[in-house]
Amino acid sequence: MKKLYILGLMGLMMASCKPNIEPAAPSAGEGVDFSSYVAVGNSLTAGYADGSLYRSGQVNSYPAILAEQFKTVGGSSVFKQPLLNSELGYPGPKLMLSMTQGLCDTVASLGPIRYTGALDTAGSSQNIYLAEGPFNNMGIPGIRCVDFLVPGYGAFNPYARRMFVAPSGSRPIDEVLVAKRTFFTLWIGSNDVLGYATGGGEQAIAQAGNTHKLSDVNLFNTAYDTVLNALRRNGSQGVLLNIPDVTSIPFFTTIPAKGLMLTKNDANLLNNAYNALNGFIRFGEGANYFIIEDSTAAPKFRHIKDGELLLMSIPQDSLKCAGWGTKKPIPARYVLTADEVAKIKTFTSMYNTIIYQMARRENIAMVDINAFMKTAQAGIVFNGAIFNTTFVSGGAFSLDGVHLTPRGYALVANEIIKAINNKYKSTIPLADVNKYSGVRFP
Amino acid sequence: MKKQILLMGTLLLSSAMAFGAAFQLNLQGVRQLAMGGTGTAVPWDAATIFYNPGGLSALKHVQAYGSVQFLSANTRYVETPTGSYTANSREKLYTPFNFYVGGPVRYKSRLSLGLGVYTPFGTGIRWDDNWRGRYVIQDIQLQSVFFQPTASFRINDVVSIGAGFVIATGHVSIQRAVPIQNMNGQDGKAELSGNANGLGYNIGVHLRANDRVQFGISYRSSVKMKVKRGYATFTVPSTVSSSFPYTAFKSDINLPQVVSIGVGIKATDRLTITADANYVGWSSYDSLIFDYEKNTASLQDTRSARRYKNTVIARVGASYTIGRKFTAMLGAAYDPSPVRDGYVSPDLPDNNHIMATGGVVFRANKRLNIMGVFEYVFTPKRDASFDEANFSGRYQTRIVNPGLGISYDF
Repeated sequence: MKKLYILGLMGLMMASCKPNIEPAAPSAGEGVDFSSYVAVGNSLTAGYADGSLYRSGQVNSYPAILAEQFKTVGGSSVFKQPLLNSELGYPGPKLMLSMTQGLCDTVASLGPIRYTGALDTAGSSQNIYLAEGPFNNMGIPGIRCVDFLVPGYGAFNPYARRMFVAPSGSRPIDEVLVAKRTFFTLWIGSNDVLGYATGGGEQAIAQAGNTHKLSDVNLFNTAYDTVLNALRRNGSQGVLLNIPDVTSIPFFTTIPAKGLMLTKNDANLLNNAYNALNGFIRFGEGANYFIIEDSTAAPKFRHIKDGELLLMSIPQDSLKCAGWGTKKPIPARYVLTADEVAKIKTFTSMYNTIIYQMARRENIAMVDINAFMKTAQAGIVFNGAIFNTTFVSGGAFSLDGVHLTPRGYALVANEIIKAINNKYKSTIPLADVNKYSGVRFP
Repeated sequence: MKKQILLMGTLLLSSAMAFGAAFQLNLQGVRQLAMGGTGTAVPWDAATIFYNPGGLSALKHVQAYGSVQFLSANTRYVETPTGSYTANSREKLYTPFNFYVGGPVRYKSRLSLGLGVYTPFGTGIRWDDNWRGRYVIQDIQLQSVFFQPTASFRINDVVSIGAGFVIATGHVSIQRAVPIQNMNGQDGKAELSGNANGLGYNIGVHLRANDRVQFGISYRSSVKMKVKRGYATFTVPSTVSSSFPYTAFKSDINLPQVVSIGVGIKATDRLTITADANYVGWSSYDSLIFDYEKNTASLQDTRSARRYKNTVIARVGASYTIGRKFTAMLGAAYDPSPVRDGYVSPDLPDNNHIMATGGVVFRANKRLNIMGVFEYVFTPKRDASFDEANFSGRYQTRIVNPGLGISYDF
C-alpha cells in the first residue's frame, strides 16, 4: 500500500514537472484597425531583389511579412499582391551567385551574374487587375514620389501596366486608392534620388520616365502631401517610412576608392606613362586610388578621393582587362564625385524633412529608415544572425546591392511593427527574420 | 588587379559551451541529496569523500557505495516582448552516477583512504533543429567524470582532516546552425566537440563538538577544464567551404571553487537536522574563448563575455529514523543563478533554483543500505536576454530527478 501511495505521489509530481509559461496574446492596441492593409511604395515595397522582380521576392515582400503579423491582431487573411509567375525575373533575368571567371581572371571567383537561361515570363506583361485585383501591395518598382501625380504613368512602367485599373489614363495616386484600406504604409521617395545616384550623378543618361534627375523639392512636397492626404482621407491610420541615404548601400560602397592593388613593377610602369603630368598621377606599391574621369580637372581625369564613390555597375572586365582606373580613367557615369555625394545627401535630407513634418502634422508614426541604415552599417544581430550593409556577406542586401533580401525586408517589417506598437500601444509580434531567405550560396 | 570583395563576415561562433550553473549537478550521495544537498557536517557514508574529505575517517568500516540519478529537465522558451512563439527543449534522460569506496586502513585506524568517482557537471540541452535560437544553439551535451583519491586523518575525537586530489575528465559537444544558406535555403551547420581535462583538489575539516553537534568545512578548488584539441566541423555551401575549414580548436573553462560550511544537530535520538552554505566562486567564469587553429577572414577566434557572479547556496535537511529498518529524509535548497541578466543564453537558460528533496534509506541488514531519493527543481520564470546574440525571451525549467543508491560495509 505504502509503495502504491509513493508511486501515486510521484505520478502527481511528474505531471507538474512541465513548465507552464504561455505567451501573452497579441493586442491590436488603441484607435487602429488592421483589417485592410494597403502598402504604397516603390520597388522596395514590391519585394524587388537581385536586380529584378520575381515571385518569391514578392511573396516575401515586407508588406506581405507585415500582413502576416497583422493577422494576429485582426488583419485580413487575404493580402493581395500582383504576383508574377516568373521565378527568374521580369522583365529581365535576376542575379544569382555563381563561380565565374572573367576574361582576365586567372581563377574563378564567386560573384553575382545574371541568369542566362530561358526566362519564364510568358504572359507576365498581361494586365491582371480584372482577374486578380484590387491589390493590397501597391509597390511599383521604379516609381518616384513625383510620379504619383502623373496621368497615364502606367504606360511607361511595365509593372504599373500589369496591375493598374487604367494604366494609360489614371494617375498612380488614383490607383493606390482602389483597394479598401483601414491601414497603410507609405514608403516613397527613394527613386527621387536613386536614379541620379545609380546613373553616376550629373552624367546620368536620360532613361524612359526621366528618373535620372533629382526631383524638385517643391514638386516632391506637393506630391507627397497629395498622396498622404488621399490615403488619410477616410481616417486610415498608417506609418510613413523615410528615405535611406543611398550612398551607404553596397551598390556604392563595395568597390573602395583606394581599391587598386598594384605590384611595385606595375606602379613604376604606370608612373612612367603618366610622367608628363609631373606627379599629378602617382602610383605606389599596394593599395592605390583609381583614376577617374573629371571634366573639371586639367587633364580631364584625376585620382579618386576618399568619400567619392565607385558604382558596383562598373563592368568588371573593363577594370581587369581594359585598364579602367589605371591606363584609362573610369567613366564619370560610374563615379559619384564629392559634389555629387553632397548633393544626394542634401536632397535626401530635404525630402526626409518633408516626410518628418508630414508625419508630425498627421500625428502618425514614422520609421526613420535612414537612421536604421546607419545602425545596420555597424551591424544588427537578430537571434544570433548578424546583418550589416556589406555586399553578399552582410545578408541584408540582395545581389543588386540596392534592394534587400527577404531577411533584410523582414528587418524593415520589424522596424515598422516597433513603430506601430509604440504608437498605438499594440503588441504585434515581431517577424521571425531568420525564417526568411538571405543570400543563397551555390 | 582588384578582387571582387566577397568575404564572408565573421560569424557569431562563440556563445556555446558552458559548464555553467545548471550544469553543476550537486547530485552527490543519495542521503545527502535527499536532505537538500547538505553533507558537509555529517559523514553519513562514503559520499563524504565529495562533501567533506575530513569526514571519511569517521567511517567505522570500509564502505563501497554506488548511486545513479535519472534526471530529466524540461525547459520552455517563450519569445518576448510580444511572444507569439514558444519552444520546448527535447526530452532527454541524463544519468549522472557516483561511486565511492573508502574507510579506515585497519579497524579503528586513525587513517582512512578512499576513492570517489563522480559526475559533478553534466547534462545538456537539445532544441529542435529549426527553432528560432538555432544560430545560438541547437544541441549541447556535456559529460564529466572526476576521480578523487582521498586520505583522511582523525587527529583526536573532535577533529578530523582530509584531502583529495581531483583528476577531472570531460567531453563537450555542441551543434548549431550557421546563417549561410545554400541554394535551397538550408542553413549551414557547425559541430564542435572535444575532450576536456583538468586538475584540482578537495580538502575538509570535520569537527565533532559533542555527541549531538557536528561541524564541517570544506574547500573544493577551482578546476581549469582545458579543451586542448577539440575539432570543429562546418557544413556550408561548397563555394564558401574554404572559409570554414575543418579545424582544431582550444578552449578552457574555470570551474568554480566552492567553500562549504555545515552544521548537523542531533535534535533527538531519531531526528537529525543539517544545514549547509556553499559559497561558489563563479566569477572565475568571466569569458569563454575559442581559439581556432585555422583562422580565416570568416572564422576568427572568439571571445564571449560571461561575467558570472559568485553565489551562496543555502541548504537545509532533516533525517528521521523510523523503526529499525527505515530512515526518511527531507530537504530544501535555494541555489541563486550566477548568470547576470543580458548573459542568459539558451544553451544554459539558467535561473535561481528552488529544490525540494525527499528520500528513504532501507537498512536491509547490518551492512547493506538501499537508498532512494526524489528531487524536484523548480525555477521561477525568468525574462532574460542573451545580448551578444540579441536573443531574448522568457524561460522556465522544471527538473525531476529520482535516484537510487546502495552501500555496503565490509
